Amino acid sequence: MAALEDAYARPPAGPSIGYVGADVPVELLTAAGLHALRLTGDPGAGSAQGDRYLGRGVDPMARSILSRLLSGAFGDLDRVVVSHDCEASLRLFYALRELRRVEPGSGVPEAYLVDVLHLPHRTTARYVRRRIGEFADRLAAWTGRPLDVAGAVAAHDERRRLLAGVAELRRAVPARLTGRQFLAAAGAALPVAEHVAALRALLAEAGRLPEHRGRRVFLSGSDHDSPHVYEAIEADGHVIVGEDHSFGDPLAERLVGAPDLDAIAEHYHEYGPTAHRATAAERAAHAAMAARRCRAELFVAYARAADDAPAWDFAAQRAALDIPAVLLDRQEYGRADVAALRKEDPCPA
Amino acid sequence: MPGVKKPLVHNRSVKTLATAAEAARHQREWFAGLRRRVAEGEPLAVVNADVPHEIFRAMDIPYVVSQWWASVVAAKQRSGHYLELLRRRGLPDHSEQYNAVTLGSAFDPDPDAGPWGGLPKPSIVVGDASGDVTRKIFDIWGREPGVAFYPLESAAENEVPANWWELVPHRWEEAIGPARLDLLTAELENLVRFLETTTGRRFRESRFREVMALVNEQEEWNRRTRDLIARARPAPVSVADGIPGVMLPQWHRGTEWARDAARRFHEEVRERVDTGQAACPGERARLMWIGRGLWYDMGFYQRFQEEHGAVFVWSMYLAIAADGYIRHGDDPMRALAARFAAFTDQLYTPPWSSEWYVKEARLHGIDGVVHLVSDDPRGGYFTARALESAGFPVIEIEADNVDTRTYDGDRVAERVGRWLEDVVLTRAAPAAGRGPR
Ligand code: SF4
Ligand code: SF4
Repeated sequence: MAALEDAYARPPAGPSIGYVGADVPVELLTAAGLHALRLTGDPGAGSAQGDRYLGRGVDPMARSILSRLLSGAFGDLDRVVVSHDCEASLRLFYALRELRRVEPGSGVPEAYLVDVLHLPHRTTARYVRRRIGEFADRLAAWTGRPLDVAGAVAAHDERRRLLAGVAELRRAVPARLTGRQFLAAAGAALPVAEHVAALRALLAEAGRLPEHRGRRVFLSGSDHDSPHVYEAIEADGHVIVGEDHSFGDPLAERLVGAPDLDAIAEHYHEYGPTAHRATAAERAAHAAMAARRCRAELFVAYARAADDAPAWDFAAQRAALDIPAVLLDRQEYGRADVAALRKEDPCPA
Repeated sequence: MPGVKKPLVHNRSVKTLATAAEAARHQREWFAGLRRRVAEGEPLAVVNADVPHEIFRAMDIPYVVSQWWASVVAAKQRSGHYLELLRRRGLPDHSEQYNAVTLGSAFDPDPDAGPWGGLPKPSIVVGDASGDVTRKIFDIWGREPGVAFYPLESAAENEVPANWWELVPHRWEEAIGPARLDLLTAELENLVRFLETTTGRRFRESRFREVMALVNEQEEWNRRTRDLIARARPAPVSVADGIPGVMLPQWHRGTEWARDAARRFHEEVRERVDTGQAACPGERARLMWIGRGLWYDMGFYQRFQEEHGAVFVWSMYLAIAADGYIRHGDDPMRALAARFAAFTDQLYTPPWSSEWYVKEARLHGIDGVVHLVSDDPRGGYFTARALESAGFPVIEIEADNVDTRTYDGDRVAERVGRWLEDVVLTRAAPAAGRGPR
């Protein structure tokens, strides 16, 4: 666990390419021989620059990422690949593109948009396949090498399988990992091969892991690109045993399978259901299944200020659940109103 | 009404244009007629402004645009009531009010008490999956008994040429790119089948071509009107006079009435120019309004005329009608897709938006820009930046354009008034003899 914690807290130097959002097909970055870093914000650092360029109507996570890009917090990135997984990511892409055009002195890397969309229709599936193909071509042009798609899919699927095993450790009763630890295991900024080795090592020591007996929480809603909210909730006597945002359980949830672009396109088209792309009904059905699977005792829907989507899901989610549910609405970035979780009969009203 | 601190004294604008009054009268008649048709069993569609209405027009399916309805609700100071209905269902009342207000009216226990006799219950709702919540809102509606929801994607492009307004009338393939056009064209072909199946109506290609031609003609009239207002000194009409004259016909795009209304609007403006009539006789400064209309305080736009001689000559409504809709081409379905596949980019995505506002500010000889910044993700930095670096002073004001609960018109007006005196009027030359920059 220590190696994973370390790589989560302090990304090793080296990546030349960053990416933003849940829908970037990381297999293709690996297939191109690139070590890519998923860019994250930092609630502890200021985001004045990001606020200025994006406005305060955009999810503060994206504003923080932009601030960090402008301050050089990610080192020397050549490029940033952005997905359309939510409006904030798209707006971040537009800001980067426009900054390069009108303020070249700002020093932001070149941005590329992978427009993966999610309506469950064949029209969208064809569109996504086309965009995946364009991205693969672009990567080959950048590196001047053919892509090793088969090798990359195998490596990332192996990581997903191992991460699914780690998720089981956290789902055990009592939990053998905290939510904070799972975030680190899933989000360790390591090249895939090293990440796979570290996850294997963690699974090998499973028997020696301590037990965590807090009130079991399922966390739904906004993405958590930093451990702050997990730490706040778990410090208050809870343990987060599952979540539905893109830095947690969903990373382990479905394999790509076949070693080709068709399979990658289907995988990302069908990824979810996320707060930003799925309907409230889909989210509610998933919440009921996922909360049961991890034997959660409390369902927490978390909606960051300027990240409105989760609040629209909550009424349907609560109706689909047989455990208490609470909505933490319009939360400040990196913070959680933990007092609201302590109420015996949580009430959003 | 929760949150409204005092009565808004300036909230009725004076409609001096005959075409605006005629459009408003037509709107009432149309809505009464629509309510009658639906009561007699015809289907009703509620659609987003960014959805290709031309298909509904061609198939003669009655439809209401959700943003229009929200603007009527706001003008009647009823938004708070509908947002409260959402809150009672555990839904947020602070998010995407434009669509949320319309959804709220679907949950009204007493729908006939709504503005204009109330919005009848739709059988079809169509919205695009833009942002993070529009699809959710329409999907919630689509789960009401007897309502079906047809979603459209909202796709984005990696690289685009900046000068879209020059390209889109004919070279739209180049401006928008084939990936987005293929996607929306396919979705629209499927929409036709969906509507044929659910309503039993037929889609006739010849009728569709007629509708498409009427829209181009209507928007050509709007283009002439825009060009006329841009050049005329003093301004013949202010945006408050002009918005109903352009927007109400926009909701009827593809009809002969709408095309003729756009032509009559042009004639009326032309006559005002020829006879030297001024929206603001002592014109000292020409202002641009960026953002959606302040529907609940349309008088805002005229507040600065008497005291400061400042007149709003530009809003996006006429300008986007002039530049944003015209699409020529032999394949009408693809041309229609080209009208909507990147519609909001024209207004909200740099470089398209920022370059266009600068082009329009220059064309209209603008002295100052008032920029309405709502708390939505569209942001405004690059627009303001582009205008400022082109030499146009910009003031940003914050308000939601349909949710009155946080609006304090007097305070906003006072700030704008000070900015006019301190920044704009110290720079603006007297109107006489001043030409476009
Ligand atoms: S408002 Fe009343 S009914 Fe609704 S959740 Fe709270 S306690 Fe229950
Ligand atoms: S133009 Fe304004 S006042 Fe007239 S109908 Fe539309 S929203 Fe109402």
